[in-house]
Amino acid sequence: MTAIAPVAPGRRILNGARVHAANPFTTLGLPWLILAAVFALTYAIWRIIAWAASSGGGLDDDAFRYAGGVSWIIFYMIAVAAQAMNQTFRFAVGLSQTRRDYFLGTAAYFGGMALIYGAGITVLAAVERATGGWGMGGAFFAPAFLYDAPLWVVMWSFVGLMLLMLFFGAVAGAIFLRWRATGLVTLLLALAAAIVGAVFLITWADAWGTVGELLGGTSVAALVAWTLPVTALLGGLAFLLLRRAAVRA
Amino acid sequence: MTAIIETEGLTRRYGDVHAVEDVTLRVEEGSVYGLLGRNGAGKTTLLQLLTGQEFATSGEARLFGERSLENPRVLGRTCLVKESQSYPDNVRGHHVLRAASWSYAHWDQDYAIRLADDLRVPLGRRVKKMSRGQRSAVGAIVGLASRAELTLFDEPYAGLDAVARQVFYDALLADLAEHPRTVVMSTHLIDEASPLLDRVVVIDEGRIVIDAEADALRGTAVTVVGRAQDVDAFVSGRDVLRRDRIGGISSATVADVDHAARAAATAAGLELAPVSLQELVVARTGGARGRKDPS
Repeated sequence: MTAIAPVAPGRRILNGARVHAANPFTTLGLPWLILAAVFALTYAIWRIIAWAASSGGGLDDDAFRYAGGVSWIIFYMIAVAAQAMNQTFRFAVGLSQTRRDYFLGTAAYFGGMALIYGAGITVLAAVERATGGWGMGGAFFAPAFLYDAPLWVVMWSFVGLMLLMLFFGAVAGAIFLRWRATGLVTLLLALAAAIVGAVFLITWADAWGTVGELLGGTSVAALVAWTLPVTALLGGLAFLLLRRAAVRA
Repeated sequence: MTAIIETEGLTRRYGDVHAVEDVTLRVEEGSVYGLLGRNGAGKTTLLQLLTGQEFATSGEARLFGERSLENPRVLGRTCLVKESQSYPDNVRGHHVLRAASWSYAHWDQDYAIRLADDLRVPLGRRVKKMSRGQRSAVGAIVGLASRAELTLFDEPYAGLDAVARQVFYDALLADLAEHPRTVVMSTHLIDEASPLLDRVVVIDEGRIVIDAEADALRGTAVTVVGRAQDVDAFVSGRDVLRRDRIGGISSATVADVDHAARAAATAAGLELAPVSLQELVVARTGGARGRKDPS
């Protein structure tokens, strides 16, 4: 038998990423379409409010600066990531990829997704600012605390938060691959319990003031930086879960 | 010869179900193995254990002398084609071939396209929208064109019509002659695949019940037909796999019949008939075992 050179690790990880690119619509296409629809609806609502307010006392300058529509695409990344893994894991392993290479490739693909979305939304935020908030003083792509932020903070925030959600989705996806719906329900219940527990602890310690100061006193960029270790932990957890996932129909 | 597959006490249990139980197996380089057994006998689980797609409860699988689980060195030389392979939504036939070409160093794209033509697989169609036979054919193409040193087919032609199955057999034989490699193929269509097989492994309720050269196996069993009392006399003390009786005429399928025994049977006025691999496997895996004479 002729000994063949084993496929280089970088190439194997690339293969793990490429299974997602075979059909990039759900990961890179559909979210933009839905975001466009959410923006169109938000814009329509602005016009209705502005029209209604014109006969009354007029609007405050910051009336349209707190639209939450763009946060939708951030949270949607949980579903996108979980679904992407459920779609491709058995296919990749069926093509002789190791779970490790598949996971590293998937993580790289998710990193690329966060950069693409972050850059795209930042460009839209720049257009938004250049057009005086789409001619209405609105802020859809960089609303609320991002309204005054420099563009690099806008980009940094979206990339960081997308990564957080994508890797949370990777944990959910790995749990779904191993324990199906039972696992997901357990995960959501555990998450809800953790949030209630945290609320209880903060209330019990009478620490809401401290929490408020901490959040208010820390810059947006620094807060996003604090999500990175959490994202890394989620990534590690997703890998540990996936490493023991069997391939079942 | 070198062992391409070695397992030692390989076991996989799901609760009380013993899907694969204490399998110790050695597959030599360059042969075609048939992995035979009934539905649920553990064929798919065994093949998934070999490639680390499923996790062993105990025991270990080694391919090319190394542990296979999560081992890119051996997995890159191994291709497992499953009937139950799942494909992402919207992935088309040619996407599958392209993804396969990334994984396998010996992949032959021209050959894959030729096979798709011969098997009439619409490569532009979404795999999820293909018929069962077309999906099976996609798997068969991946298995053949991968030219992986170890190729494992799990029911490669479920849903394929007779013509497509013949195309597959012919392609496999022709390609093996040019590019020798080790093939393990699980199948229900035993007699049809039988000419391809060098060696036969029969698994029943998770355990290996036969592991033998196909030719030797075909020669060992025989069906004797004759008057009931002559048949009874001949089979007493032998391993009877199956018996039937109509009126005064009886037939019995007997294992481990050597030349002397054949001569004795002929002398006793019995007719001898060959037993196909399929009949033998059916008998060995409980088809007619323990059935009483219907008299």
